[in-house]
This record gives sequence, structure tokens and C-alpha cells, in this order.
Amino acid sequence: MALAAPALAEIDFARDVRPILNANCTACHGGVKEAGGVSFIYREQALGKGESGRPIIVPGDPDASELMVRILSDDPDELMPQPDHGPRLSDAEVEVFRQWIKEGAEWGEHWAFVAPKESAAPAVKDSAWPRNDIDRFLLARMESEGLKPAKEADKAALLRRVSLDLTGLPPSVAELDAFLADTAPDAYDKQVSRLLDSPRFGERWASVWMDLARYADSEGLGIDKRRDVWKYRDWLVSSFNRDLPYDRFTVEQLAGDLMPEATLEQRIATTFHRLTQANNEGGTDDEEFRVTAVMDRVATTWEVWQGVTMSCVQCHSHPYDPIRHEEYFSFMSYFNQAVDNDVPENHPVLRVPMDPAKYAEAGGLQDRIDALQEQIHQKRSSLAARTKWLPTTGMRGSATKAKLEVVKHEGVEEFRTIGNVAAGAVHTLDIPKPAGLTALTAFRVDVRPVDEKTAAHTPEWGAMLNKIRLQRVAADGKAEEVALAEVVADEAHPIFDPNLSLKGSNRGWGQYTKIFKPRHAVVTLKEPLPLPEGTSLRVILAHATDSAGGAYPLIAKRGRIALAGEAEWCTPDAEIDALKMEISAARKALAAIPSTTTPVIRDLPPEHARETRLFVRGNWIDKGELIEKPGTPSVFPPLEEAGKPPRLAMAEWIASPRNPLTARVAVNRFWLELFGVGIVPTPEDFGSAGEKPTHPELLDTLAVRFQGDMKWSVKALLRELVTSAAYRQDGAISPELAARDADNRLLARGPRQRLTAEMTRDHALTAAGLIAHRDGGAPVHPPLPPGVWRPFDAGDRWNTPDPGQPDRYRRSVYVYWKRSIPFPTLSTFDAPSRELCSKRRILSNTPLQALAVLNDPAFHECAQGLARRMKYDAAGDLDARLAFGYRLATSRAVTPDRLAELRGLFQKLEKDYAADPALMKGMAGTPDGAAYTVIGSVLLNLDEALIR
Amino acid sequence: MLQHLQTEKLHHITRRRFLRDCPTGLGAMWLASQGLAAGAGKLKITHDPSAPLAPLLPSFAPKAKRVIFLHMDGAPSQLELFDYKPQLVKYNGKECPPEYLEGQRFAFIQGVPKMLGPQFSFKQHGQSGAWISDRLPELAKHADKLCFIKTMQTDQFNHGPAQLLLHTGNQNLGYPAMGSWLTWGLGTENQNLPGFMVLISGGRFPRAGASLWGSGFLPSVYQGVQCRSAGDPVLNTTNPAGISREVRRAALDSLAKLNAKAHQDFGDPETITRIAQYEMAYRMQVSVPEVMSIKDEPPEIHAMYGTQPGKDSFANNCLLARRLAEAGTRFIQLFDWGWDSHGSSAAESLGEGFVNKCRDIDKPIGALLTDLEQRGMLEDTLVVWGGEFGRTPMQENRGGGEGNRFTGRDHNPNAFTIWMAGGGVKPGMTFGETDEMGYHVASNPVHLRDLHSTMLHLFGFESQRLAYPFQGLDQKLTGVKPPKVVKDILA
Repeated sequence: MALAAPALAEIDFARDVRPILNANCTACHGGVKEAGGVSFIYREQALGKGESGRPIIVPGDPDASELMVRILSDDPDELMPQPDHGPRLSDAEVEVFRQWIKEGAEWGEHWAFVAPKESAAPAVKDSAWPRNDIDRFLLARMESEGLKPAKEADKAALLRRVSLDLTGLPPSVAELDAFLADTAPDAYDKQVSRLLDSPRFGERWASVWMDLARYADSEGLGIDKRRDVWKYRDWLVSSFNRDLPYDRFTVEQLAGDLMPEATLEQRIATTFHRLTQANNEGGTDDEEFRVTAVMDRVATTWEVWQGVTMSCVQCHSHPYDPIRHEEYFSFMSYFNQAVDNDVPENHPVLRVPMDPAKYAEAGGLQDRIDALQEQIHQKRSSLAARTKWLPTTGMRGSATKAKLEVVKHEGVEEFRTIGNVAAGAVHTLDIPKPAGLTALTAFRVDVRPVDEKTAAHTPEWGAMLNKIRLQRVAADGKAEEVALAEVVADEAHPIFDPNLSLKGSNRGWGQYTKIFKPRHAVVTLKEPLPLPEGTSLRVILAHATDSAGGAYPLIAKRGRIALAGEAEWCTPDAEIDALKMEISAARKALAAIPSTTTPVIRDLPPEHARETRLFVRGNWIDKGELIEKPGTPSVFPPLEEAGKPPRLAMAEWIASPRNPLTARVAVNRFWLELFGVGIVPTPEDFGSAGEKPTHPELLDTLAVRFQGDMKWSVKALLRELVTSAAYRQDGAISPELAARDADNRLLARGPRQRLTAEMTRDHALTAAGLIAHRDGGAPVHPPLPPGVWRPFDAGDRWNTPDPGQPDRYRRSVYVYWKRSIPFPTLSTFDAPSRELCSKRRILSNTPLQALAVLNDPAFHECAQGLARRMKYDAAGDLDARLAFGYRLATSRAVTPDRLAELRGLFQKLEKDYAADPALMKGMAGTPDGAAYTVIGSVLLNLDEALIR
Repeated sequence: MLQHLQTEKLHHITRRRFLRDCPTGLGAMWLASQGLAAGAGKLKITHDPSAPLAPLLPSFAPKAKRVIFLHMDGAPSQLELFDYKPQLVKYNGKECPPEYLEGQRFAFIQGVPKMLGPQFSFKQHGQSGAWISDRLPELAKHADKLCFIKTMQTDQFNHGPAQLLLHTGNQNLGYPAMGSWLTWGLGTENQNLPGFMVLISGGRFPRAGASLWGSGFLPSVYQGVQCRSAGDPVLNTTNPAGISREVRRAALDSLAKLNAKAHQDFGDPETITRIAQYEMAYRMQVSVPEVMSIKDEPPEIHAMYGTQPGKDSFANNCLLARRLAEAGTRFIQLFDWGWDSHGSSAAESLGEGFVNKCRDIDKPIGALLTDLEQRGMLEDTLVVWGGEFGRTPMQENRGGGEGNRFTGRDHNPNAFTIWMAGGGVKPGMTFGETDEMGYHVASNPVHLRDLHSTMLHLFGFESQRLAYPFQGLDQKLTGVKPPKVVKDILA
């Protein structure tokens, strides 16, 4: 790319200077390293002094600027870039610096960090070609480069391209015929409308989004067990089908749970960020993988919506973009309050009716239950606050499977364990009757982290109480069991029922699996317990007999007991009883609706919030400064809080027209899918190290219109793209154009792309007449080649439906996606494993792809299907049947030379099979059937069958 | 002279492909748009898109041409095999001294565990006097070929992340495996076979699955190809029933003619590549089963390895590894399983399962080393043996009691032993020393990134320069922290 002629034009920092700095300087003088105390990320730093004490850049005075001295030096020790780091700057580059400094060394923001502006479409010479403004922008550039657009593609090719692009499926013969026969001027537009309205549209675009969302039906690391998340996939399909505006689509996935009066669908949308990997291998630290998931949410949010790489900022400031290390953690803070914590139960999960018609009913019931729980919690909390809690005096502790001591901490008695503890430990706490307490109605169990200060951000293993018991011990030492009524947790919506700790359960009350802050439960008695003089109390805390991850015992290492005598704890409360009745009725009604579950995002209540701290050099163990409140990087327009929950405010900030990146990144992504290369050719990086847009005014104009005129409608955007003259061009590539513009960035020809992995399989199934369409549902298990399915957990089965069963032939978007065992057809055709957010697929062209379409049993079944269609569904002679097959596979009419080739092959094969019928064993019953099958395979393997 | 010519050709390809090469498009395009040339920084790896696995030359003269990596999934106990600790014999059965428990994380040990002495007897072997236990008598005969590193360190102590860190340099999923980096950087010698092949002993699959041989952000053509014992050795190499090789040839001839017509119509260079890939697929249908079939090996070879055609044993995989190495495969990755000797069951105990596993691998590894040597291939084949971490000198006591029902050890990421042979490493030496219990490193620690860096060095690459841009960083196999080449072990 030629630089602007320095002596003539004014220097633009972002356009002319920043690229030279990024390429030659920022590796050592940037956000990661500030060699010699010099960094070129921020102007105030660049205008400062390095360790040498000399001013780096003096605006207006190149000769006084150390930068100029160093890039011009002949002394190899002085010269920058250092000779072993890179070549000397060219004269042109040196001149850019000189003129820029002379003009005042003005700083300018990187183009993508400044709001897009709409431009009027440029004037073009060939005014006949453009169909809309997209074409005018493209043509202006072509004309300036001396290029001419290609002719329009023939109708069949065009319908094939637009059908596959919009719905992921080829047109049927009937659809082709109808379009070919339709001579109306709006014939093509009608086809576009039909395709946009097709229920297959959402399936195609969900597949695209699922790469970004790192969607998989299994958890990832460790056992990689199954995880029900497919209701989110169905939500995606439906969102694209009903054209949910992209801003809403964004907010619902990032903060649907926090939207006012959130619906069940909006909560399902938050599964987006529960698609992070979990690790349930034995002996793993749940906090480590919780944090890993939180960091992945940061990285994914930025990559999906902002096209900015954030992962690098977790360890240090961004190497070339103005985002500081601490800003990463301010942003991470938005996601750090999510309840989920890498436990095998995957909680919190949402019950979702199988039948979407029941969503509203189930959502209403769940909301009702939550509200009722909240009411009970409020009443209980207020009673607890009114209660006079008596501390213990003279408590003694003993334990099995642990050693216990009682110490005074800040004047209050506490039990503490000494040394290591083991699962199933039982703490026995003997508590003398407090003076003045004549009858006991409730007691409180406090469990505290050993190191409260550290635990606030780096938690300790929590405690789970399998069974809480109380005994009254008479003066003679005789112990008598006391009936307990209820365990009241310190939160409205505990994951497990705390009352199970009265019956004996490893999943009752406690901290599962980590403790950040002191926690407590109130245990009430069935009736007030008289405490005559001389009696004492004994609280027995039996802990869970299993360990977190099979390795970490969940034992209270530090805690307190407090006693209460308020009669109210034992008095029947009609209001609470009524609330409980209502909850149980609602639960019953909910349980009656056939449902599955999906993990969702939900935040901790404020009183249990975690501290967010900076990770020194990105190491989660090494915590640095406290992050006071969540925030977005300061280089971008500020966020409006307006009293909203922070994560919702952040989501709306991303989905706001004032965000300079969101619409650009979205427009570019849809463009990339249709044209094969983005206007910004690096969709993964809109930062200053990414490529610049080939047509910046076009990108900006489309971005402004997408969020404005089009009201974030994806269908409106796609319609505009596919109805452009540029999209409708013929895809043929002349040698001159191949040499000039191999990637087709200037679009002087139509796009000619290989089918995506999903399309490759769906296309073959369609050509074979096998495809079975059904909207949504649990993942399907189509045929796998033998030897592929070897899960770590031998109980995880891949049950393929028999031939003829619809679920054998469903679209690829519904295929069960296991991260550790990729579905071979999809991964061979470049689908990512979806472990992390994947922004684009880099297409390969390999012999393994050839082998798959030739020999994979599922493709062979398609070849047989296509053979049957040629033999039985077509009328006429052999040529007509072969032409029909060719058309099914390529959407094109066969040419005479091709037909002759196919005929020749058919006749030879039919003869050979007839001569030696044993040859066709296991494939076909008749020589012509066998020959049609081989022809079917040839047709499915045609270059023209694999492209769109 | 030949090298000079090849370099010339590469330069030519580099210039020609600079603007159109897809796999490295990210890097090359970025440079192009920024209007600059590559500095002394990262290497420009440029492949001909129609032959993405064609061999390339590294930065400097390599010592090794191919790798056979023997991964013992589950982490074998170094204290029962190579790291002999007389002090631990004395401490056997005593409570673990508190200084060993302070601040340590364990996977399963709870409370105060007991120390566990070596379970087998050790002897010194060969001129080098390497300590090897009586569990590996055949390997012991090759002591003077081996280069032990006793002080390997990893950051991870759970299997999944630790295996990922070992094979991809990152504990998370989604990063390219060593074999992907090498085939991306070097291509492979036999264009009729994948460059990176994976062989798994029958039984359990490694936890992280295909991610251990995934190509991560590198183009998918560089991912490892798993060879299977059930079904086709490489997926889909067998024709469907009813399609003979002659029928397939006829079909492919027609297909090529039809595709040539498509190329006439559309001029798409990808169509030409596709025609070539179908021909390669056709050749692979012969070359893969050929190289993967051991039944025609002479009886003395079968006797030496202990192989039986048709089984998916480690022994068969060792013999296949030699065959693939001979055929010019760049990276041959073997996984054996069942080495997680916690003592939680007989199969996962030092007394039983471990003994069986040792018996399974001893003879075949000895045979592999003999076989490579007798064919003159050991000098440029790097053989690496090891697990994802080591095991503790304490006896595991799951649940905090006295000990498990069977004898076993917990995970230890602080110090473990691997060995290498051939491929430019010094034979008959031991590098690094652990403390008297074999728990921590006493001198010369070698982190996994140092191992990766050393391996890349043997293949002619500086690890800091073999980089690929992803997520805003120049990603490297060795990660962010600077690695070092273990110079002392280079021959």
C-alpha cells in the first residue's frame, strides 16, 4: 500500500504514523514492553522523556526529537529499530515522521475506535451497472483501479448461490424451474423474500453464530460429558427467523436475565456465556476454572461484538491499542458476579419446556417461585435481625476425621480445625447454657473462611453440612436428641434445599464448593427447648462424606454458634406457611410441564458479591489492586448507567449506536459470509494491527444504516447485500483478475465459495432426497464411520437411527457436537472444534475431504439416494436421467460434453457390473443401479457440487 | 548446492504467493497492508496452497527430521522407573515431613500422608550408569542411547490441562499441537501420507481427546490424523462395498475431466487444487493401508516387538511408528494409557496395573530403538518418552485416611522424568537432579516450554520466531514466557 506523499498531503496519525509504529516500534515500546521507558501507545507518554532523559517527540521540532535522532543514526548502538530487531526505516517512513512532528505531532484515534459516518455514494462513470449504493462504492474503487465489473451470473447459478448463502441449502428443481420461468423484473427479489422467510434461514445463520458462541453439546475439559444447551441453539434459530433486531439479540445474550420482566426466552439467551468449557476432572480447583470461564466471557464478548482482541490485556496493557491492563479487570468485573462456579451440576440451570408454546407459562411459574422465595427470605431476615443472638461461652469442640480447637477471636468464641481435614468429618460442639436463656428456639451456625481478607477474592473450599443435630445434655451427662424444624439459609435462592441437612444429605446447606465470605444458617427448633440449670447443649455438625472433585473435603474450618430464645422462631407463621404452600403448588405445576434444562447466567445477590482484583501478569493466584467498580475502556464513548444493573448497562453500551465497533463488526461479518472476504479482511481484529477496510466509506455507511434505517434488522441488511449488482456478478475468474486480486477484495467478479462444512453435508442429503426437516429439538446422532466414537466416559453412547429414520438425515446444525470428538465430516471441512470463540473459518482443500465425500458411509448413502432419484424419479431416456442428477447436484443444466462424459462412464460401468455381478455386492441389486450409484458419487464430488 | 536451489525455489514461491497465500494470509496480509517487510522477528512460513504439506526448510540446519513421541497418558511414576531415591527407602512408611506439605496442592492426598519408598529394585546400567528399575529390563539395555531429564516441570497437575500443556504449550483447549507446529513449519516428506499421525493403544482415549492433536488456530490441514485400529486406519480410505479400485479409477478419471471443464468455465485455481487432492486421495488409499499393515513384516521383527497383527496394542503402534518414520511422516504421536497409579484400584496401582503397563511397553520400546538404529534412522529421529507430570513421593491417602486400598502415588507437577533418544540429543546422559525425596527440583529445572524450545531447536527453529498471529499476539508453541534451549543435552 503506497504511503501518502509526505511533502504534499497533511499527515494523518492513524492512517500514516500508527502503522509504522506498530510494525517497527511497539513490540519494544508499546503496551507490553516499555524499553527505555518509551512507549508509543499514548501521546502523553510519547511526548515524555525516556530513561535517557531526552524528549522523545517535541511537537513542531523534529530535530529536537530523540525519535528522529535514533531512526537516522549511523551508530548501530543508537539506531532504531535496533539492527537485530528489524530493518532500517525507509526514507519515505522517515519523512512521514519528520513531517508529522513538524505539523505538531497530533495524535489521532484509530479509525475503528471513532464512530462511523455515513457518506454519500460516490459518482461513477458506468451509471448503468449499480443497483444500489453498495455498487456505487465498489464501482468507484474499481474504476479508480481500472477494473470493470463482471457480467451478471446466469439465473441458475444465482439462485444456487443465494439459496445456499441465505438458507444453507440448494434450490430444488421446482424452485429453479419457477425462477427460470419468471421473467418479471422483480423475479430475483421475490426469490430473496422467499428465502429470507424460509424457516431454514435461521438454521443457516445459527450455524454461523454457533462458531462465535463456542456452542457445543459437551462441557470440554476433563470428562467432556454431555451438557443440555440445545434450547439456546433453538433460540438462535428462532431469533434469526423472526429477525430479532441485532441490538436486542446482543443485549439478550449478554444480559437477558437482567432485562425488565425478563421472559424465559431472554433467560435462555444467556446460555451464550454458559457455553464456556467446564472441567470436572477429579482433583481440579473449581475456582481456577470458574475464573477461566469468566476470562473467556471477556475475550468472547470483545471478539464477537467489538472485533478487538482482549485476551492479551489480561497479562499486560494491549500491545498496540490503547487499552490498559487494569481496564481488562474493570470489564471482567461485569462477569465476575455470575453464580456458576464449575461444579458438575452446572448450576444455575433453567427448566425449559420442550414445547415453546409453554414457555410463557413456565416462565411465569418460575418468576412466581422466585418472588415467593424472596418474600420468605425477607421475613426471615427481618426476624433474624430482630433476634438477640447470644454468643457461646466456654464452648468445647472435638471432631472425628479432623482436629478441633476453640479460640476467641475479637472476643467471640470460634471453633477451628487444626491441620488437614478429611471428608465426612463430624464436629461436636459442647456449649454451656448461657446465663439468662431459659428456653432455646433457634441457633445459628456461622461458617467463615480462615483468611477472610484473602477469601473475599480468592475463596477457600467451603463446607457442606450433611446433617445438623442438636442435643440437650443433662447434668449427669445424658444426651437427649432435640427435634429440629427448619434450616433457614442466608440467601433467597439456595441451589440445594437447606432442609436436607436435617435429614442427612451431601447436598443440603453449605457453600458449594467455595466460600468467599462468612455465611450462616439459622436452625429452628420444633418447639422451645427448656434449659434447666445444669443442662448444656451439644451441636453436632456432620459434613458431606464426599469431596469436591473427589479430592477436596468440604469441611467447616472455622465457625461460630449463636443461640436465641425468641419465641417467634417456634411460633407457627400462617403467612409463611401460605407462601410455602404456594411455592409447592407452583413447583408441582412446573414439574408437570415436560421440560429440559439449560445453564444460564444469574448474578449473586449483592451481599454475597465477590471482590474483583487485578491479576498480576494475568496470574489468577496473584491478585493485585481492588477493582472498585465495573467499567469499559476509556478509549470508547462512556457508558450510561442510569441506575441499571451493571451488566445490563454494559450490554446496552455494546448494542448502542454510539459504540463505534458493534455495527461495523456485524456488517463486516455478514458481508464476509456472502462475499468470502470482509470489507475489513481480518474480521478478528478491528484494532490497529488488523487490516484496514478495503472500502472504508462503504463499511461506515452500511454500519450507520444498519443501526439507523434498517433498525438493526439482519434480514434487511442481507437483502441489501444479496440484491446488489456486485453480489449478482458471474463468479468466473480471469487469469488477469486472479493475478490482480486473488482474494476478490475489489469484487470485480461474483463470489465463488466452497460450501461450509454444514452445507457440504446438507447439500448432499438434499441432492439425495434424504434430508429431513424438523424445527429444533435435542441433538441428533447421524452415522459415524466406525472407530470414531471412543468417549472417555464409556457410558456416553452415540446411537444412530436406522436407515429411513428422519433423525438420521437432519441438518448439520442439529448434530451432536462433542468437543473432544469432533464430527468427522464437519471437522474435515474446516469447522472449528468450538473450544473458544472462532471468528472465521480458514478453508482448506485436502485429500481427506475427497476421501470423505467419496467413501464416508453417510455420503455413500447419499450417492445411493441420488442414484434412486435418477433411476426412479426422472422420466425419459438415460441422458435425461443423467441430466436430472447433474442438475440436482449442481443446480446447473448439463452441457453436451459433460453429458457425454457421464453417459460414457455409465455405459462402461453398467457393462462391467453386468459382466461380473459379484462386483456390485453390498451396493446395488442391478447393474444399472450400481452404475447410477457410482455416477451419483461422481456428481456429489464435482467441483461445481462443492461450491456455491 | 541442493539446499541452495531449494532456498531459491522457496524465495520464488514466497514472492509469488505473498499476496494470495491463504493459510498465512493473516500474517502476510497484515504486513502487506502495513507496507513493510518482515524484520528479524517472526519467520514467514509460506506454503503453496495447492501443496500445503510440501517440505520447507527450517531457519538453520536441523539435527532431527522426525519425531516419535511416546506419551504415557496418566503420568507414570518416575520414582518406580528412573529417579532412584535411597533416602525415600529410609522414609518409607513414615509420616510426611511438614515442609513437604506446606503450601502444596494435591489432587487427592488429604491430611498427613505417609512417605512411600520405591516399590521396585534399581540398578545402574550401561557405560553411563543410568539408574533404571527392574520393571524395564529391555529398555535398560539401551541405557547408553538415552538422555534423561529428571527435572521436568509443568504448571498443571490435572490430567486434561497438563496433557494439553505438554502437547500444545497451553493448558486450555484450542491451541496447535507440537506436530501441527512442526508440519506447518516444515511440511512433510511423503506427500501421499499425512504429516502428523496419531496412534492410540486400545483402551481409554486421552481426556482432552482430539484437542491434543488439533491444529488450533493454524489451518486445519496441519491437524494430526488419528489412525484407527477399528475401521479404516485413516478415515474413509476404504472404498464402499461395490466400488472396486478399477471402478474408482474410472470414476475419478471422469471426475477429473468434468472438474477440468469447471475450471475452464470458472478459472478458479481452487478447482485445480481439488483435482490434485482427489489424485492424492486415490494414492493415499493405497499408501495408508500399506504403511499401516504390519502383517508382511518378517517374523523376527514381530518377535522383537511382540506384535500381533490386528491388535490395537502399544507394541503394534511402536512398529507402525517405525514404518511411518521410514515412510517420511514428520510427527508420529503415540498415546498409551492407564498410567495413573493412584492406588484407587488394582488397575491403577503400582503393585499391579503399573507392573502390567511396564511389561506392555518395555519390549516394544526396546525393539523400536534397536530397529531405528539398525536402519540408520535413530540419528535423525527424535524419540521422546514421558507423561504429563510425575508422581509424589507420598503414598496417596484419598479421603485422608491411612492410605488407599492399593499402593499408589498422587500427581506431582514439580519434578518428573522424561527421556529422549536420537535426533541430535546426547546419548547416555542424565540432566538435572531432584531433591532427596524426588519431590522437587534440586538443580537444573526444565520447564515444558524449555522442552518445546529444545525440540524446535533440533528441527532448526528458534522457538521465538516460529510464530502465528492470533488473538492479537504472535502465538508460539512455547507461550509467552521466554523459554530456553537445554544446550547441555544437545549432541
